[in-house]
This record gives sequence, structure tokens and C-alpha cells, in this order.
Amino acid sequence: MALREKYLWGVAVTAAALSACTTGTLSDPPVSGGPTTPDVPGGSQAFAPPAPTIRRLLARQYRNSVRDLLGPAAAAAASPPGDSALNGFDAIGSAQLGVSDDAVTKYEISARAVATAAMGDTARIATFLSCDPAAPVDASACRKDFARSFGRLAFRRPLDNEEVDRYAGVAEVASAEIGDFNSGIEYAILTFLQSPSFLYQVEIGGVDPLRPTLRRLNGYELASRMSFFLVGTTPSPELLDAAEKGLLNDADGARKAAQDLIARPEARTALNSFYSEVLELRSLDGLVKDENLFPQFSTKLAQAMREETLHLIGDVVWDQNGDYRDLLDADYTFVNGDLASLYGLPAPDGDGSNFIKVQLPPEQKRGGLLGQASFLSLFSHTSLSSPTLRGKFVRERLLCQSIPAPPANVNTVLPTDPNAKTARQKLEVHQTAPGCKSCHVAMDLIGFGLENYDAVGAFRTTENGEDIDAKSEIEGMGAFEGARELGGLLRDEPKVSSCVVRNIFRSATGHIDTSGESPEMKKLDASFVDSGYRMQDLLVELVASDAFRLVGVVE
Amino acid sequence: MAKLVLNRRTMLRGMLAGSAVTLGLPTLEAMLGSHGTAFADGTALPRRLVTWFFGNGVRLDRWVPKVQGANYALTEELAPLAKVKDYCSVLTGFDNKAGFGRRGHHDGVAGAFSGYPFIELDAGNSNYSSKFGGPSIDQVAANAIAKTSPTYLPSLQLGVSKRVTTGEGPTLQYLAHKGPDQPLPSEHNPQLAFAKLFGSFVPQDDHSTKLRVTALDAVREDAKRLQMRVGASDKMRLEAHMESIYLLQKQILAIPPVCMKPGEPTQTNKDTDGDEPLEAVSKAMADIIAIAFACDLTRVVSFQQSGSVGGTVYWMTGATTEEHGLTHDAAGQELVHKAVVFNMECFAYLLEKLKGTTEAAGNLLDNSVVYLGSDAAEGITHSCFDQPIIVAGRGGGDLVYPGIHYRSPTKENTSDILLSVLKTVDPTATEVGKDQGYSSTECKALTA
Repeated sequence: MALREKYLWGVAVTAAALSACTTGTLSDPPVSGGPTTPDVPGGSQAFAPPAPTIRRLLARQYRNSVRDLLGPAAAAAASPPGDSALNGFDAIGSAQLGVSDDAVTKYEISARAVATAAMGDTARIATFLSCDPAAPVDASACRKDFARSFGRLAFRRPLDNEEVDRYAGVAEVASAEIGDFNSGIEYAILTFLQSPSFLYQVEIGGVDPLRPTLRRLNGYELASRMSFFLVGTTPSPELLDAAEKGLLNDADGARKAAQDLIARPEARTALNSFYSEVLELRSLDGLVKDENLFPQFSTKLAQAMREETLHLIGDVVWDQNGDYRDLLDADYTFVNGDLASLYGLPAPDGDGSNFIKVQLPPEQKRGGLLGQASFLSLFSHTSLSSPTLRGKFVRERLLCQSIPAPPANVNTVLPTDPNAKTARQKLEVHQTAPGCKSCHVAMDLIGFGLENYDAVGAFRTTENGEDIDAKSEIEGMGAFEGARELGGLLRDEPKVSSCVVRNIFRSATGHIDTSGESPEMKKLDASFVDSGYRMQDLLVELVASDAFRLVGVVE
Repeated sequence: MAKLVLNRRTMLRGMLAGSAVTLGLPTLEAMLGSHGTAFADGTALPRRLVTWFFGNGVRLDRWVPKVQGANYALTEELAPLAKVKDYCSVLTGFDNKAGFGRRGHHDGVAGAFSGYPFIELDAGNSNYSSKFGGPSIDQVAANAIAKTSPTYLPSLQLGVSKRVTTGEGPTLQYLAHKGPDQPLPSEHNPQLAFAKLFGSFVPQDDHSTKLRVTALDAVREDAKRLQMRVGASDKMRLEAHMESIYLLQKQILAIPPVCMKPGEPTQTNKDTDGDEPLEAVSKAMADIIAIAFACDLTRVVSFQQSGSVGGTVYWMTGATTEEHGLTHDAAGQELVHKAVVFNMECFAYLLEKLKGTTEAAGNLLDNSVVYLGSDAAEGITHSCFDQPIIVAGRGGGDLVYPGIHYRSPTKENTSDILLSVLKTVDPTATEVGKDQGYSSTECKALTA
């Protein structure tokens, strides 16, 4: 608490007139549209989660579900529509935005292709059938059994009789029309895959017997929520069995199931998806750099940058199960031949395609994610580094602070000063001009300390013939020079770990945490610290928390 | 010899939910009246609407014509319009009142293309995002047309540059919006855009047609049941989902268009060494629009040449830096200008294509309105006053011809222009936009 007040006070003094840049504090976010939190005697807030919404499966969740339901050939045929992010997360977009005509058309095309491909895997289809499809004795009963067994996996819950009849009915009509039993199964599959019960995560819950004002997700809903979150795919038959047996109805049951899930290899892939989104690594695919200034830059190098970042995350989170904050200031990284060349390191043995762990040269002051070429390239312009974009990323994505827009109708062209050679010199006016100062101080002072890395992340000591000054200081956090020292400051900043908790939560639940969820967020903050900042523990405790397992009343 | 007269609306072979499904058919000579200006049954020729967007504004000193009226001279940035100048009205000095200085680019595009102030999603401690505040004008038009004369596709969304801004919500990412929660993504691949129009017609004896409709009936039944369990906003989302399914069912039952045999485009919008094929894609998309209009497969198109902000590099101008960065760089303004000229060349290609496609006694541009706009007057300042706007086409005779330059002396609302544009396809329209952007007064200068 003291630390937060100190921070706010410090910035408020420097930016009295434009406090918007500093309002994004973590513990008491201004929430629009969220439920109001009733005051509780004693001053503590009551837990009041927002009303649930249905969430459309993300494209990757759709593909993975098809793979688990119908096999790799079927997954290869899947072509779901893309995702749209809100507030930086596809999951939030999927909870708010409606489908377009085009998306529904794409779902139909995808479902037909998947169903056709799936029928080629006769052994797998047979697992859902109670008869020989070549000579069904009781075709009608067999179709119903199929609807029950496949439907339970596709919808992630048991079907009721009306649904069984509906899907068996589609199979019967198709079977009669085409004159073959299997065609009926194929049409049933493509129908299942277009149903809202497959395409949306439905998380409505039922009244919690212990707290009647809240709704607890039922076992099946929770199984889906944790499976899509932790392993990016539909719940396994075993997890659905656990739900059916009532094993997911309390925190301990949820915790145990979550521990099992993060032991699966897909957990690594799912966390990579999360980081690819939070760190915007997906934008590396279309990244362009000035080919005259950076001839070494290529699509291949950009992909290597992404791999480097995911290697470090995999090392800290999974291989070591270490302190998450090592990601901020690790003195080592992982390079292939192209990256070694970019960083001025000796080439690894072999053909250069393998990634090897290397110590970073201390003189480059490189370390952690903010010293990696992925971050440094993504948050630069095509030709020039951008202290502003780099600082904005740290504020928004690592500290969970919003940066407001530049004031309206301000001429944003920097004055041309022939004596200004470095980016820092050119941006000097933003440090003093009244309309610019408050936000640019908050952003640029972070980026100034990273000026020894150019627009593709290569180390440099001069810009346009002028020595670069990369010494900087962040109000309330301290002085630093270079990525590793910046990482060290962030490592000690409680806002950073709280922001990790929030980003994970937002991605997992598809909404921005509301003030009513603040008590649970604070508990998660504390448990993250207590665990020694172990990401694996955070993932499990998040699933076990009330914030994950309970929702508000349907509105 | 007696002229063959076809009924304008032909009942399709399918029956859906107990009622016959009809879709528009292309305009064939056999359907026209003796003067070739209307159908034999007296109904008017189809009217179309295109919204055409490019990001980051213009250089006003090289955009705004010096004189007003029909005799305005084309400026450097308008010069590519030489062959279609008669069809172009340049509107300057207007104020995008729905964009009142909250956030650059968001203000500009949402106001100029919908008349609704955008909705901020900033939750205080997360990434900034915004949504459109209401439907974009193309979707208002598509909605009206769908009620009176439904076409195969209610509207078509096309995009050229793939480097659009994805991190600040639908406002910057997409041009067409059915509403705040229903942005419509653009198709960037001309081959896939073509397939949307022509690729999905199945042979009439294909029994899959009936079964696909049966499957979708079951899906709609599921959606209806789910609707009863969810909250109010989810009810609306599922309603929209069901409407899209119903439309798809109608499309599955539609007969192939009786129309010219169009050539499939070869362009797929793949980069070469990091360079986007902007000109080739823009032209391929323009060709698709002309075919779609001629065959009456849709009457509404949104066209996103480049995104708001975005990361488009106009390499053909000699630029190696993304356009948005250049707009904020004093030394980049000449390249910004060249990019505007490039975009106007692409815009002119579309207009020439429509003008060159005969329809009845005139051409497609006679029966279309094409609204060009951007997300700022100039990228440097993000100003919402004097944003570049061109209204092209005769709108079926509703719009002033030959085109004029009109500079508003009173900072009229850009929504007035939207209303005039909308009324060419929906004569019953009386208003557009909301709050600061609301307008119920047409732009008189545009009236024929």
C-alpha cells in the first residue's frame, strides 16, 4: 500500500495537470459497467463477480477441439473464422462480439470439410458407434447412441433426449437421402460442429448452496473453462467423467484437476499462445523493417525472435519451474545462428538452426524479455527505434497502466533540429511541452534506457555519429541503463506481478477484472508471491479461486 | 420478334420455413423496359453503395481545390480522377462532429463512416480499445436493401493492405460494422472474395443442398434453446447468429446467377520480399465489385484500401517506412503525399471500371454512389475538421452531375453527406448517426 501511494504521489507531482497518465492503478481500477460492490462492515469488499457471458471458441481452441474429437486429419481440414481482440485479448473479443455472416459461412465450410475428413478415420468413428456401420441391425438406436456418445464430447456435457433425437434425426434424414448409414453420421458430425453448444463456451452455473447470491459453474462448465484455459482444448473424456462424478465441485477438486492438466504437453502450447498474445509476438509474422538499414532482417529472423522468447519462457516456467521474475532480468537467452549474428555472439555449432542457451555479454547490458530482439523490434518503427512505443508497452502490458490518447488536434510532428542526432535528443521536446509531458515522461524514460538497441534489437553505441546516452530513471522505481537493469527494477515492482495475475485472468475468463472481483485478485496476488512467483502455481491457484469457479447472476 | 420478358424476381426452387425464398437476379436486357432505363414492370434499376477508405488522411494543401463548383481544377492529389471527374464531387470544410477530439483515428473513421461517436472500452488499466458506436453507413444501407430487394450477399467487405492495426479494437481494424458488437472483417484475398460470390453455387441436382439446410435447421433449433438460458446481450448475439444461419440457408438454395462468365482472379495478396501487392490487389478487388454489381449479387461494398493507423508501407512511392510513422515525421510529408496519390489512382481505377461497365442505357457508376473518406484530415494532427471526402457516382440520378467542389462555409456536419449518400439507396431514410454526429439534414450541395 505504501509503495503504491508513493508511486502515485511521485507522478502526480510531475504531472499535476494531466493525471490521466497515472490513473491506471492496479488495486482500484475505475471500472465501467461492472457490478457495484456493496460495502461490508469492517471495510473489506464482498466478492461480486460479473454476470456470465457465452464465449465463442477461439480459432486455436476450435482446431484443437476438432483434433481431440476427430483426429489429426479432421483437424487439418478445419478452417474456422479468425478472432477479434478487445482490450488486447482475443478472449475478451470472443465474449462480447457477435459472429458475422461471413463467420457463419466459414463455420459451415469448415464443418463439412472436417466431417468428410473424419469419416476417413473409420477406427475412431467406430468408437462412437454401437453397431457395424456396414450392416446396422438397429440403425435408429445406433444413431441415437452415436449422438449421445459423440455429442457428450462435442458439447462437453451430456445431451438431453430432445438433443439426441435432433441429431439422430439429422443422421436419419441424410442416411435416407443418400442411402447409406455412414453419410448420416457425417451429417450429424457437421451439424454438431456448427451448434452453439459446440461453438460457444456456456458458463451459466447454478445457485451456490453456500452463497445464494452467487452462481457456481457446474462441473462440466468448469471442466471446459479450465481445459480451454490450461491446455487450449476441449476437456478430455476423463475430465468430463470427473465432472460427472462431482469431483470438480469444490476448490480442492478444481485444484487437483488443474494440476493434472498442467502436466500435459499442451499446457506449454497454451501458455505460449497466451504469451504470443500478451507480448504481441504474433505481429512478428507481418513485421517489416527498412531493408536498406537492416539487410539482416527477414521473415526467418523474425520467426527466430519469436522462438527465442518462447524458449526463455519455457525454460523459466516449465523446465525450471522457477521464479517468474527471472523472465525480466535473466542474464542468458537462447539463440540460433541468425540471432547469434544479430547479437554479436559466436555462432552455435551445427547448421545454425538449433537454439542453444547462451550467456549474454555484460557490456550490452542485455537481459530478460526486454533485451530480446522480439520486443525491441516489435516496439520500434521500420527504420528507427521508438522509446515511446517501448515505454508504452511496458506501461500497458507489464504494469497494466493505460496510456491516454494524445490531446486532440495537436501537431505531432517533432521540430526539425539539425543538432538532434539521437532519438532521445529528437524527443526532448516531449519531455517539456505541457500537452505532451506527463504521458511521454511515463513512456519515454523507460525507452530511453533501451536506446543501445536499434529497431531490430542489435546493439549500438552511437546513432548518426553521436554517442547514445542510455542512462535513465523511472519515477518511483529508480535509475537504470539497459534492459537487464530495467528488468531488475521491474522485478522488484509489485505492480508487475499483479499485472501478470490480471493478464492471465483476463485471458482465462474473457473479461477485464471488475472491482467486485478485487478481493479474489488480491488473494491471487498474495498466493503468487507466497509461491515464490511460480507461474505453474499461479495457473493452478487461479483455477481453484472463486473468481474462476463462480459467476454472477445472469442479466 | 417478341421480346422475351423475364420476371425480375424468380422463385427459387427451395422452400425455407414454409415460405418461398426469392433473391434478386442480374439485370438482363430481357427484363428491361423499352427505354432501357428501368425494368419492364416499371421498377427502377438497382442502386448501389460503396464506402472506400484509406488511412491517415491527406496533405490538405495539395488536396483541396482552389475554386468551387463544377469547374474546379483537379489538384495534385485529385489528378488521378481526370477520366471520371464529372462523376466526382469533392467536399471540403466539413466537420466530423461525431469525432470530437477523444482519440485520433478512432474519432475520424467512426464519425466519418457512421455518424456515431465511437464507444471507448478503456477499463482503466488495460489496453485501449474502442468499438463503433453504431452501424457504419454501408450496413445501414445493406439493412434497408435486404428488406426491399435482398441480394445473394447483403454486403461485401473487401480489404487491400493486410497491415491493419489489430491492437485497439474493431474501430481501427474493420471498416464495416453492423453495430458496436458486430464488426465485419474484410476479405483481403481476391480469389477468396471471388469465391464468396461465385464459388459456392452448387449444381442443382446436388442432394447436399437439402441436407445442408436440414443441418442448419437443427443448429437454429439449438440456438433458440440456448437463447432462453442466457443474458440479454447474449440473446442478441445468438439472434444475430441465427439470422446469419438463415441467410446462409437462403444462399445454399439460391440458383447460380444468370450472368456474364467472369474470369477467376489469379491474385491472392501474397507479399513479395515483404512488399504487399497493393496495386494489383486493389484493382482485382475493383474488378470483383464491378462483376458483383453487374450480376446483382450484392449492392453494398465496403472497401478498406489501407487501415486506420496501420502498418502499410507504400513501397512503390520509394517509402521504406510505414505510412503512419511518416505522417508524424516532418521529413516524411512528401512520401505521405505520394501515398495519397497512389491511393487516388486505385480509387480512380474502381470508378473507371464501374463507368466502363454498361448497364441498361448507362453504366454502373450512374446507378452507384461511392463514398471516399479517411480517418483524419491530415495524419499529422489527427484533425476531424476538413477530412477528405469524395462522393462519386450519380446515385441513380439523385446526385449532382457533373460533380462539383463544394467547400462548406459553416463547417457542416459530415453526417449530412452520409445521409445524402444513404438516401440514394434508401429513399425512406431520414436520419443518420447519434448525439454529436446526428443529422437529419441532407447535404444540399450534393442534390441533383
